[in-house]
Formats: sequence, C-alpha cells, structure tokens
Amino acid sequence: MSERNTTSFCLMIFRRLQLLFVLMIAIAIVLPTSSAARSMQDHEAAQDAPVSDEREADEHVEEGDHEEEPAKFDAVHHNSDAYYLDFSPMPKLELPRIFVVRRADGEIGVDFFGSTHAAVEAGYVAEIEEGSHGGILDAHIVAGSGKILVDMSISKHLFFAWLSMLIVLGAYLPIAGRYKKGIGRDTAPKGRFQNLLESLVLFVRDDIVRPSIGPKADKYVPYLLTVFLFVVTCNLIGLFPFGATATANIMVTAVLAIMTFIYTMFAGTKDYWKHIFWPPGIPILVKPILIPVEILGLFTKPFALAIRLFANMTAGHLVILSLIGLIFSFADLFGPAVGFGVVPISVAFALFIFLLEILVAIIQAYVFTMLSALFIGMAAVEHEHHEDHGHDAHGSLTTVEAGS
Amino acid sequence: MEPSGLAFLGAGLGAGLVALGAGLGIGRLAGPAMEASARQPEALGEIRTSMIIAAALIEGVALFGLVICIILAFK
Repeated sequence: MSERNTTSFCLMIFRRLQLLFVLMIAIAIVLPTSSAARSMQDHEAAQDAPVSDEREADEHVEEGDHEEEPAKFDAVHHNSDAYYLDFSPMPKLELPRIFVVRRADGEIGVDFFGSTHAAVEAGYVAEIEEGSHGGILDAHIVAGSGKILVDMSISKHLFFAWLSMLIVLGAYLPIAGRYKKGIGRDTAPKGRFQNLLESLVLFVRDDIVRPSIGPKADKYVPYLLTVFLFVVTCNLIGLFPFGATATANIMVTAVLAIMTFIYTMFAGTKDYWKHIFWPPGIPILVKPILIPVEILGLFTKPFALAIRLFANMTAGHLVILSLIGLIFSFADLFGPAVGFGVVPISVAFALFIFLLEILVAIIQAYVFTMLSALFIGMAAVEHEHHEDHGHDAHGSLTTVEAGS
Repeated sequence: MEPSGLAFLGAGLGAGLVALGAGLGIGRLAGPAMEASARQPEALGEIRTSMIIAAALIEGVALFGLVICIILAFK
C-alpha cells in the first residue's frame, strides 16, 4: 500500500469523524438523561448494602453507629448516575436540571435550573424516600404543579460522555487539519502526536475493519474508529480520581449498540436478508423454527454488545470499591485495629484490580469495535457460501448460483 | 426463609457459579492457545488476537449472569 493511499485515506477519515460525532452526541443527549438516571435513583434509595465508601465512612465512624440503618454510601451508589459531580472532600458540584414540563395550565415549557437546590426552591418537590440519606440530591424530583414530561437534566454520566467526546475531538481535529494542509499526506507525518494518532487509526483500519468486512471496508471505518476512540476514552476517564465511566451507564452502551444495529441494517445486502427470512438449503419443515431464531439472533447481537460493555465497566468499578470498603467493614465488625491490619491486603488487591481494569477498558473497546465490524461484515458480504447449504449435488447449478 | 434472604443466597451462589463457568471456559481456551503458540511461534500474534476475542465473548456471557445477581442482591 503506497504512502499516498494511506494518508489520503486518513484525511477522509478525519473529515467524516466530525459528522459522526455530532450524530452520536445528539442521540446521547436524549437517551441517557431521562430513564436511566431515574431508574438508578429508585434503585439507590432502596438499598442498604453494608459495603461502605471511604469518604463517607470517616464521618460515620466518628458519629457512632446506627444499627438499624447502616448510614454509609455503598459502591453501587458511587458507580451509578447522579445529578452532581462528586469531588469528595470538597463540596459537590451540582449539575443543571432541565425539565420539559407540562404546567398546571396545560402549556408545555422547558424549565432550566442551575442546580437541584434551585429547582426545589422554585417549586419542585423532592421525594425523599424513607431510610435514604442522600438528601435532595439523590431524590426523585417531581413537579410541584403540573407534570414533568421529559427529564433532560445533565447528569454525571452525560457530562463525562461529553467530556470524552471533547477530548477525542480536541485530539483528532487538529491532526485532521494537518492532513488537510498536506503534512502527512504529501510528506511524512510530523511530530510524535500525529504519528501516534495515525497509528491508532491505522490499527483500527488494518487490524479490525479490513479483515472483518472485506472489500467495502473503507466505508465503515469512520464509524468504527469513532466508536473505538469514544469507548476507550470513556472507559479510561472512569479510572481517574473523581472521574466517572460514562459507559457504565446502560443507556450509553445501548445507544452505541443501536447505532451499530442501524449500520448493519443499512449494510445488509439482499443475500443477507434472504438468508434470514428464507434460508436456502434448509428442509421446508425446519424453516418455521429457524426463521424466528434467525430474527431473534438479529436483535440479540446488539443487545449482547451493550450488556457486555456495560457489565464489564460496572463490575470493575464495583470490585475496586468493594475491596476498599472491606477495610471499613472489617473495622466496623472487629474493631479499628483489625481495620488497620486489613489495609495493606485490601490496597494491594485493589491496586491489582485497578491494573486489570485498565487492561479491560482497552480490551472491551477493542472487542466492541471488532464485533461491530464483524456484524457489519456479515451483513455486507454474503454471496460466497451458497455451496455449503446442501447444494453440493448440483455441481454446475452451484457455480451459476454463486455468481448472483 | 424470607424472600430477601433467599434473594441474597441466590445472588451469592449465582455469582460463584458464574465465576466458575467463566474460569472454566476461558481456561479451556487459554491452554491450547499456549500450546499452539509454543509449537508455532510465528502465529503468536493471530493466536493472541483470537484468544482475546474469544475470552471477551465468554466473559460477556458470564457478565450477563453477574448482572442478574447484582439485581437480585440489590433489589
């Protein structure tokens, strides 16, 4: 492959990246805010797992214990979506709340508040459930008069999704500008950063997309590159202090899987659909069984993509927080001395799991992209395997058919 | 036995079984992968790639079960 081919290709990729990001983020605005945050909130208020979070546990050990309510924050709460950014020894930074509301007089309007507290002061009611200790910030907000139609508030995961989008755009658009000017196209790529990012792009194209899709690969590289970079950035940001993993929200991964699904729909050739709805070479009595299975398989694949990424990201964070929380559980059960003793073991385990999580973050991004490429490839190319559907007896007919 | 007690029991047992299943599955895949790469060191790159993909898929299934256990334990 010539130098010129590679670099002009890169230029095309970078241009398309921008479009796709706009599309992705447009969807990511709508979906993550409404249902996931609310369901996570209901989920949170009802639980009382004894695993504690290091920040809150300090205060509670001093206050004395409530036996009936373990008043500690737990790992699941820290992981899930919220309407504030938690910089823990420092105060929490509340995020804006935006509600599309049908007011008491029947009109539909948009209410914008700078924080949850402002919303409550303006007449919204925070339904604080019995036994929950999060205060207004964790409560479910209901309109004082009228009804909230869509909760479009900015939540923590949405904020971090946008942040990783800005990081990827900020890293790649200037490089794209360089390609437009010709550096890296007519001459060799200049500088470490450009070389590094170009090698990432080429990795996605040559090792993920081209082997899976085959001849029409270059059309789909922009989308798959976008997915890979976005997922890897989201995953890695979650490992920083005070960071949250946007992909640990099922809605974000669901949006990504839906986009892959849409791409497979559009990439599907006639052969592909024929194979799903009327598989050739199968005895006629088996077809009523096989066709629903095939149709179901069409939907389970993106579903599995979403769940795999979501569960991997959530599980990693949960394990780390649980291990750290072990210290506090031990301290509560057996006394502070044992708590101190558990610290080296716990921190060592947590460190190991942290390192594993870095690996898992990158691997899961790679697997998501690879499987998306595979699904698109399976949809786009379908003509070679007429032979293995039982047409072996018809020698010449096979070759004629395979040419269709 | 109250339902929440049963739920916690189910979650714990389920998580253990999930870990067992994933470990067995990935172990069975890693062994022959090691042998194959020892027999033919030049195929190491491809073997490693296929191994990682297969491991991620197996883990994906394991995590389906884990998600159900988490739901059981916390609801």
